[in-house]
Amino acid sequence: MSAPHSDPLAHPEVQQGNALRYISGFITTLLLMFAALMLTIRQHLPYVSYAEAVTGLAVLSLVTQATLFFGLDISRAHIWKSLSLLLTIPLFIISVGLTVWMFQSLATRTMLMPAGMLQQPTLLQ
Amino acid sequence: MATQTPPSEGVVLFHPHFAGHDQISARTLGFWLYMLSDALIFAALFAAYGVLNNPMGAAGGPIATQVADPVEGFWQTCAVLGSVATYSLGTVALKSGNKGGVMFSIVLAILLAFIFLGFEAHDLLDLLAKGDGPTRSGFLSAFFVLVATHGLHMLFGIIWMLVMLVQIPLFGFNANVVARLLNLRMFWQFQATIWVILYVYVYMIGAF
Repeated sequence: MSAPHSDPLAHPEVQQGNALRYISGFITTLLLMFAALMLTIRQHLPYVSYAEAVTGLAVLSLVTQATLFFGLDISRAHIWKSLSLLLTIPLFIISVGLTVWMFQSLATRTMLMPAGMLQQPTLLQ
Repeated sequence: MATQTPPSEGVVLFHPHFAGHDQISARTLGFWLYMLSDALIFAALFAAYGVLNNPMGAAGGPIATQVADPVEGFWQTCAVLGSVATYSLGTVALKSGNKGGVMFSIVLAILLAFIFLGFEAHDLLDLLAKGDGPTRSGFLSAFFVLVATHGLHMLFGIIWMLVMLVQIPLFGFNANVVARLLNLRMFWQFQATIWVILYVYVYMIGAF
């Protein structure tokens, strides 16, 4: 990571900028989100399959952004950023997933809801 | 009682002449770690939204299907991704020290960010006008806070870009300005990442 240059523009993170990569990232992410939008509008799939498909497209989009926008890889210049991101992703998923799961369990055991409301799909169903 | 094992002989713990992180790399890594902690704020907001996105949380008020339009959200996606791509392309001009190219990209990125914020403000003000503000229900509190928190990040990014538009002609591409431009690139790309999660989680799955 040490740069032997005195010119900040010669820094590896500056020289990492790549027009083709950014344009590819923009187009790929947009196409993936458009595919997810089509699945949402057409409503052909049952809720669980739909949620899985759209989540898959979102994950692909995030991987695209990490590699093409952020330029993350396992090179010496980026290994700490890539590693810290990989370690943060499970925290993010656990925070959201476990919180929703806990309150979902609480709601089904304690809330007196009309039958129709209980059948309403939620983010965990 | 705990004992400490002395380091093995011959193991080099540090070297006085090791350059370590240079100034720019240290600053971008530090800012990257800050952004990851910022992502956990969004995790808390996504969790609150997930908990409250149900008829009980809506308390008789509108639910996600009535407040989040996936088609309009897609136009916002185009605007935010366009803004990020434009700014990122500006940092390609930075490689050759092209001040005009960098500043032109920043101006375009700001315009696209304003389009994004315009959509967002229109949605939230429309809800407020109907009496469906953040105090109407737990669900709407979570929705407003989540969407507005991302919007505030975007607004902060715009202010940061305006500051850079002043600093670039004033100081040129010195080490401080270059580090700030690189951090701003990460910050701006991070907004697109958060928006993609928000769009899929709130405007698509949440409103299906």
